[in-house]
Amino acid sequence: MLSRRTFLAMAGGAAATSAGVGAAVWAALVRDHVDTALAGASGSAASELPAAPGTTRSSGASTAGHVLVVLQLGGGNDGLNTLVPAVGRYRDARPKIAIPEAQLVSIDTLGYGLHPALAPLRGRWNAGQIAAFEGIGMRAQSRSHFKAMDTWWAGTDGVTSTTGWLGRWLDATEGATPNPLRSISLGTGAPALIGERSLPTVVLSPAQFALRLPRTTDAKAVTAAFLATAAPASAAPWQAAAQSAIPSALDAIAVLDRVRAQAEATTVDPTGSGPTGATGSGAVARAAADSATSLLQTAAGIIELGIGTRVILVGISGFDTHSDELDRHQDLLADVARAITAFFDRLQARGKADNVLLVTTSEFGRRVGENASGGTDHGSGGVQFIVGPAVKGRQVVGEPALDRLVDGDMPIGIDTRSLYALGLDWLGGPTDELLGARFDRYGLL
Amino acid sequence: MNNREQVAWLARRAAFGLAPGELDRLADRGADAYLETLVAPELHGIAAGGDPWSGLTFSDDPTKRRAEGLALAERWLAHQAGTPRPLVAAMTWFWHDHFAVSYTQVKSTQPFSRYLTLLSKHALGDFRQLVTEISTDAAMLIFLDGTTSTGTAPNENYGRELLELYTIGIGNFTEADVRAAAAALTGWVVRPRDDYSTLFVRSRHNTAAQTLLGKSVTDVATVVDAAVRHDACAPFIAAKLAAWFLGPDYDTASLAGFAKVFRDNNLAIAPLVRAILRAGLDGAGGELVLAPLPWLVAAQKSLGVNLDTGTAYRYLTAAGQAPLTPPNVGGWPGPAAWLGSSATATRVSMASALVDLAPAASPVLKAAAVGDLATLASLLGRPGGFTPATRDALTAFAATKPAGKAGAAVTAVALASPDLLVA
Repeated sequence: MLSRRTFLAMAGGAAATSAGVGAAVWAALVRDHVDTALAGASGSAASELPAAPGTTRSSGASTAGHVLVVLQLGGGNDGLNTLVPAVGRYRDARPKIAIPEAQLVSIDTLGYGLHPALAPLRGRWNAGQIAAFEGIGMRAQSRSHFKAMDTWWAGTDGVTSTTGWLGRWLDATEGATPNPLRSISLGTGAPALIGERSLPTVVLSPAQFALRLPRTTDAKAVTAAFLATAAPASAAPWQAAAQSAIPSALDAIAVLDRVRAQAEATTVDPTGSGPTGATGSGAVARAAADSATSLLQTAAGIIELGIGTRVILVGISGFDTHSDELDRHQDLLADVARAITAFFDRLQARGKADNVLLVTTSEFGRRVGENASGGTDHGSGGVQFIVGPAVKGRQVVGEPALDRLVDGDMPIGIDTRSLYALGLDWLGGPTDELLGARFDRYGLL
Repeated sequence: MNNREQVAWLARRAAFGLAPGELDRLADRGADAYLETLVAPELHGIAAGGDPWSGLTFSDDPTKRRAEGLALAERWLAHQAGTPRPLVAAMTWFWHDHFAVSYTQVKSTQPFSRYLTLLSKHALGDFRQLVTEISTDAAMLIFLDGTTSTGTAPNENYGRELLELYTIGIGNFTEADVRAAAAALTGWVVRPRDDYSTLFVRSRHNTAAQTLLGKSVTDVATVVDAAVRHDACAPFIAAKLAAWFLGPDYDTASLAGFAKVFRDNNLAIAPLVRAILRAGLDGAGGELVLAPLPWLVAAQKSLGVNLDTGTAYRYLTAAGQAPLTPPNVGGWPGPAAWLGSSATATRVSMASALVDLAPAASPVLKAAAVGDLATLASLLGRPGGFTPATRDALTAFAATKPAGKAGAAVTAVALASPDLLVA
């Protein structure tokens, strides 16, 4: 499952030496990496390495500085109540929880309206920076959360895989000196980022991510001793994996300290009554630590540091709305809308937005008909978004085939790997090689 | 493994570790005797100890929800470290992961504590009875929407997980089975204003006979019966428990034997657990990454100190394993999650907070202060000693006479090291 190769490659000569020496080598390695990376804070993706030989680049501008952000909506988002189709069957199927027509946010795309909580996205949608897929999914996903998540993470549509769709890209393009911060997961574990060689840095709660050391001790000495337990690597795979996690964790702490310092230095409107209301900086600063809003702000901070991070996975949960969906979904979507708006506003203000593409994922859409609990059960085809200045937006790919339901579910008309192909193209590929076939991009980039 | 190592192995994996001095006492009587007292404490004169929830208040006042949840978690952590029947507590923790219910949705400690009591009561008992009772448990009915599932529009949430996660596993049932289970389980409600008692309301029940896994079912008893009698049930539960105690890379050749023990004993849990642990003592186990909570309980036990509740809960949340609030219906993620940066960094923080609480006279700190690593390892439940990397790192660090309370910094590094993460 986990490979020791990354760890061994990083350790280099240290693995062969005694731990006393190892500690010094490790400390230097981490310090050098973080310092070098942070020195490149000009944003030129200083530590990004050239593409591995044989990788193909998409035509046009260089993709070397591009960052892909995946916003994972855990639990199975209800696509029908997110991007609402103007068809009668929708309202017939949901007498209690259909969004009333008068409340829908109108957009410049015929046949759809947005859930009222997504109002902050209207401007970006109409400016052509957001596109949506309707009826997207994978044939093998099933209505099980776990089977569906595995299917989405692997990106192989049912073929068993120990690696994730982004982990394989990370493997294919990793340079000679791996950067443990090349892929970062915030707020969730990261099976999509697991490769044969690449291990993501996983930070569940950026707000609580810090080292507290024993009182009155020398912090550097304790940290160095902890680092020394990481080498030489054990022959036992889990022990070795636990060892390899140590330098990554210390590296990540150094970086997120910097992100926090940066955030504190940024002036925040404490009243939250800024010109943009619900998406004003006060509302963003007050957002709960595990909200998409807060996690995407951390992601923005990491992107601004320019430390060679190419893939950021942001995970939030709660979309499994079997009951009381109207209220719960409202809160969830309000967070998503605020998160995306504040994220791109911030990057735009710093001249970084053009390098960033955001896609949403969720393991399945929900049943078309409502249940007795004012909610919806697990379904099939769903709705996903692709967002960024580079997107050819203001369009919906696919259709709400409510006249052709499969076992009460929206059928899957678009393969999830079309969404993945766009993400991998953005990163520079080699997309078709990694996905094992050519999937339609629908001209969205 | 020699006898001491076998006792320590059992303690690490099935008993939340050892208190100072316990290893010597238990090793004197032998690993086999220790295994029997763990699996069948009632046959060896080991009392259950008091009700861990006695004296807790259940106000059901939303403004006290957080404080009451923390109080419950505090009692539970203390119980895990102090109970005379540690395997019962360890299995209760397993069932909380298996039949995962989150306080976030249940919102009241009254049904939640009852749910934990139910898990504890059947922790090593009859699996079928456990599934039957959990199916109409108030916390579970609230968590998986049983309370709002009606005969005319059944909610599939519980019916699906009963089959997929609790009894037979994916690939062994169809969508029609999910619908059948959901329909037959309708009719149960919870009454929050009446102590969260549960009630079967006939008018909310779908009375039509359903076909589940080829059997005709009409109610909880017949649904559970169809699920636990299915051929896939015994191997499914046996495989999960084997990986839980032996680690994901255990020798799967032993799985068929475990499933047979479970089936032959009419799905009694204790014989299955005994067989798995016995196989582990005989070398069938692989590496096991400890999750943050068992790691913390074992560390507290070995030092004889407890973090205050707020601190423990904050750290466990940061590490990704706050008790009472599993991330989703599937419980906590597998071992790779505990190698992430959050879990790694938080382990250092927890270790540091613990050594700050430990008295300088603690045998652990004293051994660490003088660089007696054989004793230190033994006190921390590793009588076979540390791995070379950890041993060398600690030797070099102890030789520098690190600043602060004697032994504290060295102990913190030892606790946070990969050696104590991998059981």
